[in-house]
Amino acid sequence: MWLKFKASVIKESLLLMRDKAGLAMLFVMPMALILIMSLLQESTLKKLEERHTPILVINNDNDSLGAHIVAGLNETEFFELHQTIDGKPLNVQQLKELVTDGKYRVGIVISKGASDALRNKIKYEIQQQFPPEEGPLFSPPPDPGKPLPKIDVYFDPITQSAFKQAVMSALNEFFYAVEAGMVMEIYAGMLNDIVGIELQKAADFKNMINLTEKSSVGKEEKIIIPKPAQHNVPAWTIFAMFFIVIPLAGNIIKERESGMSLRLRTLPGSNLSVILGKAGVYFVVGMVQAASMLLLGMYILPLFGMASLTVGSGLPALLIVTIAVSLAATGYGILIGTVSTTQEQSSIFGSISVVILAALGGIWVPIFMMTETMVKVSKLSPLNWGLNAYYDIFLRNEPVSGILHYALYLLAFAMACIMAAWLYNRYKNLR
Amino acid sequence: MSSPPIIEIKHLTKRYHHADEPAVKNLDMKINRGEIFGLLGPNGAGKTTTISILCSQIKADEGEININGKNLATEAAQIKKIIGVVPQEIALYQKLTAYENLKFFGNMYGLKGEDLKDRIISRAKAFGLEQKLHRKVDTFSGGMKRRVNLMAGILHRPRILILDEPTVGIDVQSKNVIIEYLQYLNKNEETTIVYTSHLMEEAERFCTHIAILDMGKIVTEGKPEELISGYPSCNNLEDIFLLLTGRSLRD
Repeated sequence: MWLKFKASVIKESLLLMRDKAGLAMLFVMPMALILIMSLLQESTLKKLEERHTPILVINNDNDSLGAHIVAGLNETEFFELHQTIDGKPLNVQQLKELVTDGKYRVGIVISKGASDALRNKIKYEIQQQFPPEEGPLFSPPPDPGKPLPKIDVYFDPITQSAFKQAVMSALNEFFYAVEAGMVMEIYAGMLNDIVGIELQKAADFKNMINLTEKSSVGKEEKIIIPKPAQHNVPAWTIFAMFFIVIPLAGNIIKERESGMSLRLRTLPGSNLSVILGKAGVYFVVGMVQAASMLLLGMYILPLFGMASLTVGSGLPALLIVTIAVSLAATGYGILIGTVSTTQEQSSIFGSISVVILAALGGIWVPIFMMTETMVKVSKLSPLNWGLNAYYDIFLRNEPVSGILHYALYLLAFAMACIMAAWLYNRYKNLR
Repeated sequence: MSSPPIIEIKHLTKRYHHADEPAVKNLDMKINRGEIFGLLGPNGAGKTTTISILCSQIKADEGEININGKNLATEAAQIKKIIGVVPQEIALYQKLTAYENLKFFGNMYGLKGEDLKDRIISRAKAFGLEQKLHRKVDTFSGGMKRRVNLMAGILHRPRILILDEPTVGIDVQSKNVIIEYLQYLNKNEETTIVYTSHLMEEAERFCTHIAILDMGKIVTEGKPEELISGYPSCNNLEDIFLLLTGRSLRD
């Protein structure tokens, strides 16, 4: 048994090592894929981070409300403010056209007298807080019929609602700040009038609450921020590992076509050791692939100016998931090799099915970008189980117990494939 | 008293899925120890099916086969140890060298170490391949591949050697080497040889016993010279073959 297994392992290893194209497909192509995809995504992300959304502002107010809004928009990292075009002041019609044409994402028009209108409104509301017998608090008294301050916001028609909401909430934040400032200013004036105390410049009423974004990961020091490498390396590693299907299935079919599998059946003893030898070699190839890809993520990607893959502390979990993915890929390869009748069939079906499983599983398009229905469908793909397990290890620092269910799904998939291949072979041999 | 046949086939029937007629129909056949048994017949006669069943490549639907006193259905593992099989196809790993292929097959039969190495080298000498053992099989000529194909089936010194058209499509020299070596094995290692071929002249010269199969049944059998004398209108085996199986095409 051991001698047959050893002979099978040596034979398969020699065959694989002499298949230069197969090796290139198993190692060089996925490495290139990781590198290219990471570079593409990294540069896209950088652009997104660096790019400030260009917006147009017409400030007809020329008072504190308009000044606060302009100053606030200038301070924020997200907007690039333009108040003139070619050195000339804008008019509303121009602003509308430029936004409609998509040259600017947002246009804001602060109407003339907006600050006055806001002051009037605040004074009116304060006046309402006092009993009527107190008489007018302000001179001149606020005009209840005066229109509210008007600020119009125009959006590029293709702007998505999430972006609109973000802009509107940023603007609202400025308005609240300006309103609060004015309320304080008016009350300070009233205090001075009533008790003769002139208040000093108000303390910083901003940032009075410590609102900090935190990760839900348990251990603070091990928080890992997802980077392109964190998606691309595991995703394309799993993809490459599943591409073992093509050489493995091709190998099985080549053996069948050459009459080798029939000849092997005439040999004494069980053929299990021969099959295990074959599966074992491809399993090891999968493990070597995974190790190479992870090392590439850790040491090669940074050479290209990208963030490196942070493996975290879950090495035992990483090993278990990698073993499970490699076994699942090997099992799938055995099934494809068994049910396909020609090498062409196995390579076409094998590659297309892996691409489909990869697309469904979130390899091509990350799951968080999928629709709810597709997220549900993605759970059917074994590549998704592997990817989720890697995410859990890299991003959530999950221990073995946290990824064990994914490993078990993958093992069950491997077993199901091998069982199906065995049953199919049995059925064919009985015919 | 004569020794019992080394292979005894009783009422063997095999029908393939979707086939109208069985490939082998109620076949009875005995092969004696030390014979070179030629199984001849037109395409589709049932030769390869019979051989495939003997080699445990496929299962029979009905019938019983005893090989060296053991039942094939229940003791296949024991039987496989004493059988060598040389398929019609070049069932070798093309990207491995001849030596690597032979080592693999030797290991499959439980051979290893120096013993296996000696066997490979001695067989290679006999087949004129000693200098080419470390070349990849895909660089070999058809005749060389056939010789390696045969070597892979005889490394373990089988008592029964089953060959499916071992000399098809090769040059006269290679054919000659193969036939001479098979005769050497039969004579010196007492190997019983079961052989199929379409080459009537070769079979007539090589075999000690011949059975002609047609439509899954034996239509005649005996020693070549007995067969020829039994059909006065025939001058050779080919005449008998055509007389019994007809001249119409079979595929």
